[in-house]
Amino acid sequence: MNFVLLMTLQVTLAPPQKIGIVPHGTRTIVPIRGGSFEGPLLHGRVLPGGGDWTLSRSDGVLELDLRLTLETDDGALIHLTSWGMRHGPPEVLAALARGEVVDSASYYFRTAPRFEAATEKYAFLNRLIAVGTGDRKPSGPVYTIYSVE
Amino acid sequence: MKLNRRTALSTFAAVLSGCAQARQPNAPARPDHGKIESRPLVTLRLSTASPQNLGTVPTGGRVIFPITGGVFEGERLHGKVLSGGADWTLQRPDGVIELDLRITLETHDAALVYMTLSGLRDDAHGYFATIARFETAAPQYTFLNHLFAPGTGKLEAGSPVHVFEEIS
Repeated sequence: MNFVLLMTLQVTLAPPQKIGIVPHGTRTIVPIRGGSFEGPLLHGRVLPGGGDWTLSRSDGVLELDLRLTLETDDGALIHLTSWGMRHGPPEVLAALARGEVVDSASYYFRTAPRFEAATEKYAFLNRLIAVGTGDRKPSGPVYTIYSVE
Repeated sequence: MKLNRRTALSTFAAVLSGCAQARQPNAPARPDHGKIESRPLVTLRLSTASPQNLGTVPTGGRVIFPITGGVFEGERLHGKVLSGGADWTLQRPDGVIELDLRITLETHDAALVYMTLSGLRDDAHGYFATIARFETAAPQYTFLNHLFAPGTGKLEAGSPVHVFEEIS
């Protein structure tokens, strides 16, 4: 199995909408303000309007369910959905919650993005499976995304 | 087949980066983000019954493959696949087959693990990759609840074989 770099994606977040305790866990929705992405085959910006519909499970795992729209520098729109997981030692998660800089190797933050593109130039994104490693920086999460080959 | 795809992708990359350089001759080099690391998790071999070919439905060509059994082998888990699962495949208009598989694994020590697999098979480009997720209540396999695993697939004598790795 090989992993080929697709892009680095960084997003900025709006204040979270804390729904509270729901049947599957604790639901918190984090709207996306914007962001940018940069890779060998595509680059551009993240449109505002997406979000991450996170669910904190009873076993401490935070399930991620991100949806956003990418706009490439040449004007194509790409739909991105990304399921993922974040978990780690309580003290590490507490530091993240306080907005501190934390070594991303000290917790698990992995995603599996899927793409939808309507333009031929970016249609290759429709045909691949990807994985991402996340780094929850104080400014917002940064994902390094690779295609699974 | 993988070479074809890789060649196509790298050619594509070269063309695109050429365009980018033409637009932005002073653009900084892409930073090196290091390489992702992974370790083996499990290899899954499935047996399927005759496919149920539904034909063309609104989203594409729906073919359901019932799973009659199989085996899985890895350092941290091994056992057999119970019959009763299936892969609800959908061939999209662009030719890519979307996989949507649900099965129950029974480990050698009698734990049940629910496994879902979402994937893409693109025969035109020799591509077959998946993402697997697990659910279990057995304490000795709790680690499976805390990860998901990318996989690559192939057919051996007509039966699917998937190799999964854990991103470390």
